[in-house]
Amino acid sequence: MNLDPEHWLGRLTEAPGVSGHEAEVADVVREAWTPFVDEIRVDALGNLIALRRGALSRTAGGAADAPSILLASHRDEIGLMVTLIEAGGFLRFTTVGGWDPRVILAQAVTVHGRTPLPGVVGARPPHVVPPDQRSKVVPLDELFVDVGLPEADVRASVRVGDVITMRRRTTRLHGDRWTGKAMDNRASVLAVTLALEALADRRHAWDVYAVATVQEEIGLKGAATAAWGVAPTLAIAIDVSFAKQPGAGDVSYKLGGGPLLGFGPNIHPRLFEGLRTAAEQLEMAHHVEPVAGASGTDAWAIQVAQAGIPTALVGIPLRYMHSTVETVALPDIQRAGRLMAHYIGGLTAESADGWVDDVAWWDESD
Amino acid sequence: MKDLIQTLAEAWGPSGHEAAVREVVLRLLEGHVDDTRVDALGNLVVRKAAAGGAAAAPKVMLAAHMDEIGVIVTHVDAEGFLRFAPVGGILTGNLIGTRVAFEDGTVGVIGSEKRDDASKAPKLDELFIDVGARERAGVRQKVGDAAAFRHGVDWSNGRPITPNHDDRIGCAVLVETLRRLAPGPNEVFGVFTVQEEIGVRGAAPSAFGVAPDMAVALDVTGTGDTPEARPMAVRLGHGPAIKVKDGGMIAHRGVRALLERRAEQAGIAVQLEVLTGGTTDAMAIQTSRAGVPTGALSIPSRYVHTPSQIVDLGDVEGAVRLLVAVLAQPLEGVVDGR
Repeated sequence: MNLDPEHWLGRLTEAPGVSGHEAEVADVVREAWTPFVDEIRVDALGNLIALRRGALSRTAGGAADAPSILLASHRDEIGLMVTLIEAGGFLRFTTVGGWDPRVILAQAVTVHGRTPLPGVVGARPPHVVPPDQRSKVVPLDELFVDVGLPEADVRASVRVGDVITMRRRTTRLHGDRWTGKAMDNRASVLAVTLALEALADRRHAWDVYAVATVQEEIGLKGAATAAWGVAPTLAIAIDVSFAKQPGAGDVSYKLGGGPLLGFGPNIHPRLFEGLRTAAEQLEMAHHVEPVAGASGTDAWAIQVAQAGIPTALVGIPLRYMHSTVETVALPDIQRAGRLMAHYIGGLTAESADGWVDDVAWWDESD
Repeated sequence: MKDLIQTLAEAWGPSGHEAAVREVVLRLLEGHVDDTRVDALGNLVVRKAAAGGAAAAPKVMLAAHMDEIGVIVTHVDAEGFLRFAPVGGILTGNLIGTRVAFEDGTVGVIGSEKRDDASKAPKLDELFIDVGARERAGVRQKVGDAAAFRHGVDWSNGRPITPNHDDRIGCAVLVETLRRLAPGPNEVFGVFTVQEEIGVRGAAPSAFGVAPDMAVALDVTGTGDTPEARPMAVRLGHGPAIKVKDGGMIAHRGVRALLERRAEQAGIAVQLEVLTGGTTDAMAIQTSRAGVPTGALSIPSRYVHTPSQIVDLGDVEGAVRLLVAVLAQPLEGVVDGR
């Protein structure tokens, strides 16, 4: 039972799943995870929550108090939403999630009306743009989508509130680098899938909750409710982070250089150390990513769910974040999956103890 | 409905000072609900039992916020002029000359220091409140006293203009819905929330307390039907707006679909709302506990957060009819509707 990561990377990233509208991509995730898990449910917000039982709860016939770890990877992608259908059938839209308006112009899109409609974001020919406007960003209010249909047909198929995704085939670049839309964060969904596959081949004591969260891009909403509902002993959020590229700045990491281990107030120090030790045991290339404050990931919401949950952050380096050409190195995804599986495999009944009582966030000898 | 709108609009209640509104709502609902309570933050929670008191009936929460935006005194100067800070999203561009009222009924006028460039919106610290005092000793207001835009309702072409449709019109819709609703298959919680305008503060604990199976927030939304407006499909008088998205949340698709379906079945005109800024109590309710399927029904309003907000009575009536239609029947398709 070896899953083909290239196949799943393509299917996961090409599936539409704008925040709040993640049903189609859920079907792909469900198909990928089903062979490796005991139960799958969907919560009130739409989080897909899969449980792979560990030895402790299996032997006890499903002990409710078996320790558990939650792996959160969000499955929503940034997208657009129709705000108005104008004369001529042109669609005005707003953004869902953090778009740079400069990368929306002249994109091929799919409008998810009654049936999916191919469309384009129109752009004015440079010939007719006045010289003083050529260096300026076209404001979002002036952008529109053209689906090429007469107005009456557009009104019959499209309504205000319909979502729009970028239309982009996932493509292999040279070697093992891949580019496409929604690598943020389907790359991490694949990492969780690979972790589940690896755990299927080994004994592990703890229950594992794999969660494909919703609505991360509009405020970490799914992670908050999933964490409250599962109330795990520990949690790891997996999300993409900045890979080195021209102009990326200092806080960026080598594409293909291995997973990133977040460190900072959002990350529980003992869990961080556990993951780092696991990486060293595997002789796995990795980098420590300092996260000074809000991580902007599901980890931020999970950490303060219920009475607080020890949480870590595993990152996958990615170039061109929040564009249609997000680029990853497949081995980084595979390593992230292997790392999580190795850490989880090392957890024992005893390792559930001491997370609240014994951990000092600062060196107490100071 | 007109009297109800008038009564609620005349109650004084900037965020954190909702007691007077709460008293008015309680009086308006006398005899129409099974029990009432006030929680630790001041949210008023009223309950209408399901038919036959069925214990397993789904719990539906409807939320409208009682508070309105206003100002709060930060300093009283030697001449008796009051400096102030905002309570909620005050727009400084339309404050000069606006009248505000304190809890004791004192009315003040917002004045401005001299301004070199009158084409720009004033900064908040260039403004002050003049309560007409001849000397400081005559000023009753203290640091910490709040004021709201001066109340009053004008009716123009049958449309009410008030400084606080946001969200007394939502309160009016909720009161009228609870009055008209006969016991049905759902247990209904009407929650009149506090402190929405300063960050949807009341809705979160009230939702935690009620733990509903579904929720709908009732609030105002903007429109795109005025000259050179931002592109928005919502128009005044074209029916209540079923929220798809706003600046803080995306409505649960099952709740949204249920509202659309019931509107169609009952022949009620509705619109779909995509608002690019602002949010409502629905945002906080949605992520309560392990998540609540939550939507919002909006009353289109022009000039939100100004002293002169306009709504259409037909939209208000449509909202009440739609909510009654939703609550009177089982909630199908809400949990699996995404």
